[in-house]
Amino acid sequence: MALTISCPNCGKRNGYEFRYGGEDKGPRPAEEGLTPQSWCDYVHMNNCVAGIQKEWWCHKNGCGAWFTIFRNTLTNLEVEEPEAKL
Amino acid sequence: MNRLTKLPTLRIDPSENRSLQYKGQTYQGVAGDTVATALYANGVRVFARSLKYHRPRGLYSLDGECSNTCMQVDDIPNVRTENTLLKNGMQVKDQNVKGSAEFDWMGFMDKLDCLMPAGFYYRTMHKPASLWPIAMKQVRNAAGLGKIAPDFRMKGDYTEIYPRAAVCVIGGGAAGMTAALAAAESGLRVVLLDARPWLGGCFDYRVSAYDQEKALYQRARELAKAVEATPNIRVFKHTAVVGVYNNNLITAFQVGGESDSFNERYLEIRATSVVVATGCIERPLLFENNERPGIMQVGCAHRLARTYGLLPGNQAVFSIGHDLGLEAAADLFDLGLQIACVADIRADGQDPQLLLALTKRNIPFLRGWVACEAHGSRQVEKVTLSTIDGSAKRQFGCDLLVASAGLTPITGPLTLAQAKLKYDMHTGYFLPVDLPAKTHIAGRLTGLQHALAIEASGRLAGLNAAADCGFDTAKSAAEAGQQLNALPGPERGTRLVSAPVKGRKSFICFDEDTTLKNIKQAIEMGFDVPELIKRFTSAGTGPGQGGIPGHNLPLLVSEYQARTGAKPIPTTVRPPLVPTFIATYAGANHDMCKRTPLHDLQKKAGGVFRRMGVWRRARYFSEDFSCREEILNVRNNVGLLDASTLGKFRIHGPDALKALQRVYVSNMAKVAEGRVKYSAMCNDDGCVIDDGVVVKLAENDYYFTTSTGRAGETVEWIRFHTRYDGWDFHLVNLTDAMGVINISGPNACKVLAKVADTDLANEAFPFSSYREFTIRKKIPVRAMRLGFVGELSYELHADASYMPALWQIIEEAGQEFGIRNFGVEAQNVLRLEKCHIILGQESEQRTNLLDLGLGFLWHRNKPDAKTVGAVALRQTEKDPGRFRLVGFKMEDPQRPPRDGSIIVDQRIRGYVCTARKSFTLNESVGLALVDAELAALGTRLEIFEDECNGKRLDARIVPMPFYDPQGERMKM
Ligand SMILES: [Zn+2]
Repeated sequence: MALTISCPNCGKRNGYEFRYGGEDKGPRPAEEGLTPQSWCDYVHMNNCVAGIQKEWWCHKNGCGAWFTIFRNTLTNLEVEEPEAKL
Repeated sequence: MNRLTKLPTLRIDPSENRSLQYKGQTYQGVAGDTVATALYANGVRVFARSLKYHRPRGLYSLDGECSNTCMQVDDIPNVRTENTLLKNGMQVKDQNVKGSAEFDWMGFMDKLDCLMPAGFYYRTMHKPASLWPIAMKQVRNAAGLGKIAPDFRMKGDYTEIYPRAAVCVIGGGAAGMTAALAAAESGLRVVLLDARPWLGGCFDYRVSAYDQEKALYQRARELAKAVEATPNIRVFKHTAVVGVYNNNLITAFQVGGESDSFNERYLEIRATSVVVATGCIERPLLFENNERPGIMQVGCAHRLARTYGLLPGNQAVFSIGHDLGLEAAADLFDLGLQIACVADIRADGQDPQLLLALTKRNIPFLRGWVACEAHGSRQVEKVTLSTIDGSAKRQFGCDLLVASAGLTPITGPLTLAQAKLKYDMHTGYFLPVDLPAKTHIAGRLTGLQHALAIEASGRLAGLNAAADCGFDTAKSAAEAGQQLNALPGPERGTRLVSAPVKGRKSFICFDEDTTLKNIKQAIEMGFDVPELIKRFTSAGTGPGQGGIPGHNLPLLVSEYQARTGAKPIPTTVRPPLVPTFIATYAGANHDMCKRTPLHDLQKKAGGVFRRMGVWRRARYFSEDFSCREEILNVRNNVGLLDASTLGKFRIHGPDALKALQRVYVSNMAKVAEGRVKYSAMCNDDGCVIDDGVVVKLAENDYYFTTSTGRAGETVEWIRFHTRYDGWDFHLVNLTDAMGVINISGPNACKVLAKVADTDLANEAFPFSSYREFTIRKKIPVRAMRLGFVGELSYELHADASYMPALWQIIEEAGQEFGIRNFGVEAQNVLRLEKCHIILGQESEQRTNLLDLGLGFLWHRNKPDAKTVGAVALRQTEKDPGRFRLVGFKMEDPQRPPRDGSIIVDQRIRGYVCTARKSFTLNESVGLALVDAELAALGTRLEIFEDECNGKRLDARIVPMPFYDPQGERMKM
């Protein structure tokens, strides 16, 4: 696997060691006003960004931590956190 | 054939014999020979027949650029024998022949080329449609490469390594070696790869002067020595690069030598910076019969003599387009080859020194001439030369025609790294216009031919690569750059592809039998892009991976189209760049599995082990796989089970309970001290993924079990579902640190009472409770009274190191009662009689908590959004179209269906999860998932399985559990 991922605990490691945890969609929705539709969207709908996306990874064959990285889905390379857009 | 045994450039050891079997005879070669050179030494000239036309094919390159020397070696088809090292006792066969390579009954196919124009396969055999299957069978019979036996098993050892390198240099020629040395100066870890079994590249076999003192080959050996003496350069020889990926990941495979422990090994190299110094191969010359045996490339002829000590022929004609051809002619002449004529397609631009060398040797030299036809049916006997425009012709007799139009850089690795290639008018090469990050090129690949310039470019690339790794090499790189600029730059290359011929028998691709005429046909049919012409004519899609037509095809297309300003467009390449065994990709076949702490004891006790998930577990304890005795002993007496594979976890910290509440469907606040709570975990779709028990060790401190299959993912699962919360808890996987013994049966209490330092009376330690005590005042255990098998039963959890002792103590104590082991299969039947589910057996991916009848576990007052799976459960609650878990009895008590059999009426209505003959009940019982509307008690089910001979098996839905419905036995 050409991808490398930087674990906050272990540093830059081979992509084989990690498990993908999906796009970063924020915390579980609030109980109030929750509809089956909005729940389903939260669980199953993805943005599928063609470009830089924030996503979760687990260092499963390492320290076991879950963390987020930014990855350019077009090049499959990890990138620095893009500066907050104004 | 006599070997030239005294040459200093040899890569063979003439004193050491190797032999192979070919056509029922033993052929002698020597150490260092390839299979093809050994055959060549024994006079073999025709190695194979071509794909479509069954034309004879001989040695042409020496680096596996075409399928000409593909043979079957030790039952492996399509082995490129020209770069496969000879090993003693190899069994070699020719392939794609009826008869032999020399006398092939299918040779008449060559006359039928008019019936097979470009793309005939696609265009001619589809109308009427019924023709296609017949045609396909015939075509496949006549064409094709080797055949593999259906029961063939790959022999040998295949391994893999994953080296890390600061700088990876692809190509161990002069440029690659100087690059590696330059990068290594900074102390960086350098990996150097070369496809040949030695370093040296194009210097290796050449005796021309490098400087006043040394010949090129001496310089190559000097560099190789320096490289091998540098501790931070790791050299992989006989290692072909097959893939280059982003992030500078390089894959390659290495062929093992006689002293290596592996046959081939796969390498995956992650490098910070990459230097590509792959050099050049030759660009074939197109003329009529340009692939007759006896025709070969310059490097092939030269290296046959210089590397393998084989003079390639007696009387030769050269038709070449670059200085290496002139150099080879002079050198081969000195080694004893007679040369009738050297024709150079270039009108000017030759190295005057080389021309002088030819003159001195009285070798006739023709400028602007080219071979236009080779004659001879099985081997070249005569060649017609013509001027480039075809205005004049001459014939020469010969048994060797050395032919080469020019050079072409090996850019495969660069293309894979996403470098854009563009046609360069000066060199005539496809060269990268912008290189990917941290990638450098050096050597002949860039068009350089001058030895010092090749090395200077290597040094510059090596220093730049070191700079990528954070070293300040700016000053030395600037010096190296100046040095390079002072030396001769890239040399002008030739553009001519084809002699002035119509091209009916001029082959642009040997592997696929594609001729010049085929390409012209394709263009006339409207194909204009080389990539599409490649697809349509299949030129370049064979084992050689475009090595032969890769450069010529785009040149030819742009020339033939004659559009003004049309620049040649290269075709694409894909990994693997060279044919690779799937066995090499598969690598070592380690069967890695875990053993419980009781493995050896169980083995001694006659356990029959099976692989279950990551574990090897004792499934049976006798050859009776129905486990009758094991089962009845648990029901009537007492049995002992190794349950150490259960997932075991501790979670503690202020927020431990919150985490449990998140992932379990039950109200975990209700876990009381001294009690065992059974619960389940669902995923966000409400589907059950795990079940197990939780006990409270202390405040904010819990111990819980998961099913065997989930043990590996549980920590990850809980952390994933709490990842946004920032809760403070610690989660420890104790699965391997602790073992579990299950002691079950009506006499279980009596056995345990003998060794446990606690009161086991029903009042003191009732069903579904949890206690901690010691065994024989020594071994601390966590004990749970559970009833998975439906009897009085204790589950003892203890540290793994205590397990063998604990087991032996209990076994000894139980001897007077007749205690015996039971295995996983006996447990399976016992729990089936009790209708206790095993996830994965009674569930699959779609099965949710409610389907299994476990809805009572779900605590509906917890906030849905805070419990994984609750929202979906709420939604599916009213869904009538789901499966239900039901228990059934077979009408025929002796005939349980197979697990996984389907339940049918007019269509499939469900499937059997587990079904067994129950000795306890003297019935055949089972659990099944069926459509909810069939789930009512008393419903008749019809079961179909492969073995039922079309006669469906009858079953009836009955109440669950089948055994001890009141649950009295586990509470006694
Ligand atoms: Zn880590």
